[in-house]
Parts: sequence; structure tokens; C-alpha cells
Amino acid sequence: MAGRNDALRVIQDCQAPAGGEPAAPTRREFLGDALKLASGAVVFLAGSAGAAGGAQPGKQPDEAYNWDDHLYAYLIDTTKCIGCGSCVRACKVENGVPDGFYRTWVERYLIGMEGSYVDSPNGGMDGFTPVQVGFVANKSFFVPKMCNHCKATPCIQVCPVGASYRTKDGVVMVDDTRCIGCGYCVQACPYGSRFINPATHTASKCTWCYHRITKGLKPACVTVCPTATRQFGDMKREDDPVRKAIEHERVEIMQPHLLTEPQCYYLHLDKEVR
Amino acid sequence: MEHARHVFRVALVVVLALVVFMLTRGLLVPKSYGMYGPYRHDNVAEQMNARKPAFGGAQACADCHVEQSKKRAAGRHKTVNCEVCHGPLRQHVKEDGSIDPMPVDRSFTLCTRCHRKLVTRPASFPQVVPEQHVNGPLEGKICLECHDPHSPKL
Amino acid sequence: MPEITGYAFPNDIHVTWSLMIVMYPYITGFVAGAFIVTSLYHLFGREEFRPVARLAMATSFAFLLVAGLPLQLHLGHPERGPLVMITPHFTSAMAGFGILYSSYLVVLALEVWFVWREEIIARARRSRGLKRAFYAVAALGTYDTSPEALEIDHRAIKVLAGIGLPMACMLHGYVGFIFGAIKANPWWSTPLMPVIFLLSAAVSGIALLIVLYQLTAKLGSRPVDQQCLSALSRWLWFFLILTITLELLEIIVMAYEKSESWLIISELLASRLQFSYITVQMIVGGLIPLILLAIVVLMNRYLHERVRSTLSTVAALLCLLQVFSMRWNIVVGGQLLSKSLRGLRSPYEPELFGREGVLMAIVLLIIPFVILFVFDRVLGIWRRGEGGGGAQAGSGPAHAARGASHG
Repeated sequence: MAGRNDALRVIQDCQAPAGGEPAAPTRREFLGDALKLASGAVVFLAGSAGAAGGAQPGKQPDEAYNWDDHLYAYLIDTTKCIGCGSCVRACKVENGVPDGFYRTWVERYLIGMEGSYVDSPNGGMDGFTPVQVGFVANKSFFVPKMCNHCKATPCIQVCPVGASYRTKDGVVMVDDTRCIGCGYCVQACPYGSRFINPATHTASKCTWCYHRITKGLKPACVTVCPTATRQFGDMKREDDPVRKAIEHERVEIMQPHLLTEPQCYYLHLDKEVR
Repeated sequence: MEHARHVFRVALVVVLALVVFMLTRGLLVPKSYGMYGPYRHDNVAEQMNARKPAFGGAQACADCHVEQSKKRAAGRHKTVNCEVCHGPLRQHVKEDGSIDPMPVDRSFTLCTRCHRKLVTRPASFPQVVPEQHVNGPLEGKICLECHDPHSPKL
Repeated sequence: MPEITGYAFPNDIHVTWSLMIVMYPYITGFVAGAFIVTSLYHLFGREEFRPVARLAMATSFAFLLVAGLPLQLHLGHPERGPLVMITPHFTSAMAGFGILYSSYLVVLALEVWFVWREEIIARARRSRGLKRAFYAVAALGTYDTSPEALEIDHRAIKVLAGIGLPMACMLHGYVGFIFGAIKANPWWSTPLMPVIFLLSAAVSGIALLIVLYQLTAKLGSRPVDQQCLSALSRWLWFFLILTITLELLEIIVMAYEKSESWLIISELLASRLQFSYITVQMIVGGLIPLILLAIVVLMNRYLHERVRSTLSTVAALLCLLQVFSMRWNIVVGGQLLSKSLRGLRSPYEPELFGREGVLMAIVLLIIPFVILFVFDRVLGIWRRGEGGGGAQAGSGPAHAARGASHG
């Protein structure tokens, strides 16, 4: 197009020696100018990105709470659970969990030599009622479950925009303002802990009540559990009973073959529990 | 090279597009992104303050309800948090300190949710078959006719 | 509420990846498959694909333009979709979408530009006013159609095809990786997944072109080049054999190893996916085209034109069905089983209307053909006065020489 050549000539005008008709730009000159422009832009961008990223290195979100001092873990003793569902109800109230979705739930197992039966009516929220099974059930127990806040999470690995992350004190959370609702993390979680919140259209799950534990409280489910089935602890605290149990007792985790390193530890789990 | 002019032009168009993209991207990346990892670090503080805690724990109730707390702590329900039966603290004590009446479910369904006999419950846990445990129909506040919920053992 | 047999984790009963996520690999499959065909001519110089090379490139481009739409329609927050390009989290295969898609778009757009440049310049010279301005801008202001310039174009096309082919393969292969790398879901988790996806993409692309080539030839009253058609059928047959073999291999190995997931997967195949997997994907979409194409390929010499045409078209249509059902069985099938490995939910029925519904899927499939139509109007897919044959019947030596330099 004629216009473009004119524009180029104007640029070249500035560099042309006085008194001479400027020649049309040669290939080399044109390419050189283009490269200079591009590299200048890249340098500018690198600078601005660096300035933005390193704005306040090391500043903690809240001066009173330092996440370097804590590393949380959860312990569940399945021999104590009575399946009352108080934890499920408390979580729903504390976190505003939508109906039909569960940040935590309780499963019932009935196991015999001829078969096994598992259920979780409404996540266990209204407790359990007796059930008939078609085999002789020799053992039966409840298993509370929630997000395991794994160290080697498959869910964070697959988040395409970095909306899901793990804090330094060991809690996995979702940034609701950045989650695009693609559902990849929901597919990737081997424990079924995640769901897409129908109101916000973002991924949602148990956060170990981060808004409570950073204020010295326990998660709501632990606070209401009447039989001390659920216990919450800090691996960085010296005399923490949860820490002692995890370090010295025989503990189990869910689906260990997947190497997700869950931080919810179970005492007295059965082989049927997945 | 005379005949490759169009190649240089299209290459320039591509480079320009890339530069525009990088410029735009630089403006749109959030400030605290990347500080501690590939996420927006400001969200950590946001999550800490996302909600006001709703449950207070038994100790919070004891601050005002001394009698009931003492009775409960001496009885068999000493490990049962008040809020299991009564509801969360926030329903009763509002953020500005004002008091709303605390709801309480006195029906038998609240008791049977924990104490109905299920083969799944630990054998040592106190549980009954409600229909056999009670003289008469199972309805209303029948459990409370004999048991004090704050110290239920007879 | 879906019905559950067995036990499913309470959160596990929803199918979050809907029909749109079935459409996405289907569409990118066409992009990759059509590009493989056009590269067979432009990169590997196989003359028998010359009649279909430009159509294949235009088809690949048309489907590429639409490829991002099903994803945007599926997202919980489509307005945040661009975040995948702004802060991509590179451990996620999905983040690769931003980079792969945009760079492949650039490569393909460039290749289209180089292939059609002569055409654009010719149209610029022929038109007046606004149309002329449009073509002039498209040509970036150069009107050089000398043999040297065209030779440079020819080399550029070859380079771009050489870069573009692995890129097209990665653009579809990464979709297979998205599923194959999910250790949580045993129906998806296999290293074979990217390969299966890519091979069935080739199947869908070639099948589409068999249908499209004959259809457009009929509409434009052009003869169909029989050598081209039998070459397409031959490659379709090869890719179909490979695809079916790998798909079956996956099942056979799982059944043989009988690890903990086999119980639920065998139940899934026997109950929820019985129709879509065994009947549609394997028999109607697999076995029958395999036989039809075997006839077309092995008895090529003895076949009448009409027979070849009919058999290959029917086989191609069945292959298109096979690839769709394969995507459906993987995407939806994987979500019908719970991660508890103890339960299955009732089959997923997509809504008719709505953002992720059946009508939307049909519209998404129609749009690329509209784009192709516009493409033909604006740039012209078939050269003026050209027949379907490799030998330019009735055209002068100059035309033949120019045509031979680049497709």
C-alpha cells in the first residue's frame, strides 16, 4: 500500500543527511529498525513485569499471623465415629455450602465375607437410619471424609490458571476471583472432594476453615464432633497430640498408591475403604 | 532478497502482534501473582477474612451460661459441644453484641440422630432402639420427659 | 438428580464436562486430521493429494477458528477464559491450550496466506473500491508474483508445513494428554490416550475430506479425481486400523491385568456404555467401515467409479460417527463412574437448548462450513477453470508450470 511506504520514508527522513533526497529504506535498515523497536518493547515489558512481581517481597498477609509458624494436619479415629452427622451440618452452616454438595461427608461401611455395602445418605447430614443388606455383615464402621490437603496435589497440578494453590501452612485453597470454572481439578481429585459451586460457578471444597484456624480456632467440624473422632493439629507445635499420633501411631491415608501425600491421617482404617 | 519483501512484511506483522500481546499481558497480571508460587498471594489474606466464624466452641457459651456449663461438664455429655444441639454461636450472639433467642430442637429426632441403635456404631457407645426404649408412642419431646440433656444419665 | 447404582462419592455424581467437552476434541480432531492431509501434499509432495490439498487446508483453518468456542461455552466464567493466556500454570496441560492454539493459529494463517497470496493479488488487481482495498491490505501491499517470489512462497509453505504438522499433532495430542494424565480416573489414565486421540483425529479429518471433496465436487460440477479418492480411502483405512487396534488394546490389557478398576469399568461398558461403545463405536463405526474400506483398497483396480464413491462415502460417514462416539465414551463415560470405584450414575442426557446443549453443538458444527463458504467466496478454494485431476486437462503450459510450483 502506498501509505506504508510513505510512513517509512518519513521515519528515514529524520536520519537522512541534510540536503539530500532520502533513499527508500533497504531491507537491512528496515529490519534493523524493526528489531530495535521489538527489543525495546521486550525490555520495557521485562522491567514492568519484574516491578509488578517483586513489589513487596516477604510481606505477610496479616501481621499477627505468620504462616511460617504452622503446618496443619488432620487426624481421624474411625473407631470413635458414631455417624451423627454434626460435622456435616456444622460445615454447611459455617461455610455456606450449597445443597446437594459436600465439603465433608460421612460414609457408612457394612462388610462381610460375602460382600460389602457403602452409603452416605445426603452426605450423612441427617444421620443414618438402619439398613438391610443381603449378606451377613461382620463389621461396620463410619468413615468421615473431606479434602485431604495433599502435599503432592493432583488438583493444583492441573489448574490451568493457578487459581488453586497450597499455602505455606499446608492448606489447599481456591482463589474464587480467578477460577474459570473449567472443572479440571474436580476431575483430577481422586477423593471426590471438589465440586463446582452452582452459585459462583467456581471450584469449591473444604478449606479446613482457614478463616478459623488462622485465628487460633479449630475447623467447625472438629469443634462440634462429640466423640473426638476428628482432631486437628499443627505439626510445628511441640506438644501437639495430633503430631504425636501421626509420628508414632500406625496411621493410614487414602489411596496411598497415588502418592498424593494426603495430610488427613486415619487410625484403624479397613482395606475396603478407598 | 528483492522478491522476499512480502516475507519480511508478514514477519513484521507477526512480531507486532506478539509485542501487543506481551504488553497487554503485562498490564493484566495481578500484582501479587507469583510471589510465593503460581497464584495470587493476596487471596490468602482474603480467605483468612472471608467469613466471620459461626461456631464458638463450648468455652464461648460458658462465659455467660455458667450453670448449664457446669452441669454439662459434670455429666455424660461433657464432650458434646453445646452448639451440636443448640446451633452456632453466631445465631445467638450477633456481631454487634446483641442477643437473639437461641433456637433449640427439643424433639426426639435430635436425640435419636446420635443414640438410635445402629450396628455401625461402636458397641461401647450408649444407644437404644427408641421404639422399645419408650413406653408409649415415639413422638414430640418424649426423651426429655426422663432425660436432662445437659446431664442425661439417669 | 441422577440415579446411582452402588456407591458414589457424594460430590461425584455430576457430569461437569458436558457435550461441549465432547465437541472440543471432535473439532480439533478435524483441524489436525485435515492438516495431515494437506501436509501429505505440501510437505511430503504426494501428488495424488493435490486435488484436495487446498480444500484440506481451508477446512483445517475453518475448524481452527471455531475450536475455542466449545471451551468458552463450557467455562463457569467465560469472561476469565483469557486468564489461560495471561497467567498460564504450566504444570497443567490445559494451560498449553493458550500457547498451542495461538501459535498454531499463526502458523496456519501464515501458510494459508502464502498458499493464497497469488490469488489475493490477482483478485486485488481485478477488483475496485473497497474490495480492492481489502485485498490490497491482505496482500500487505506487495504485488510481486514473479517466479522467484513464488519460489520463495513455495519454500515458506514447506517450512510452515514442517513446523505446522507437529504443532497440529500436539494441538490434538495434548487433549489426549489432558485425559491420559488423570491418575484419579482409571478409564482415562493410560499413556495410550494421546496416541489414540491423535490417530482418531486423523481418521475424522480424512473421513471429513472424503465426504467434503465429493460433495463440493458435485456442487461445483467438477469431476472427482479417482486416484485422490482411493489414496484418501487407503490412508483412512490405515489410520482406522491403528485406532481400533489401540482402543481395543487398552480394554484387553485392562481386562487381562484385572486391577482394581476393572470391575467397575467392565460394568460401565456392559451397562451404561453398551450401546455407544460396543454397538456404535466398535461395530457400526469400527468393524463395518473396516470391511468397506478393505474392499475399496484391496479391490481398487476392479471397482467402478460409482462403487468406489459410494463405499468410501458410507465408510467415511460411519468413521465420523465412530470418532464422535469415541469422544463421547471417553469424556462422558469417564464421568459416569465414581472415583469410589463402587458406583455408576445414570447416563448423561445433554439438554436440548442452553449453552451446552445439543442445538449449540449442531450450530458449532455448521459454523465451519459457513466459514468455508465465505472462504471460497473471498479467496477461492478451487482455481479458476481447474478440474479435479492432477494433470491439468486443457490448460496451457504456463498455467501448469505455475500450478506445479506450489499447490
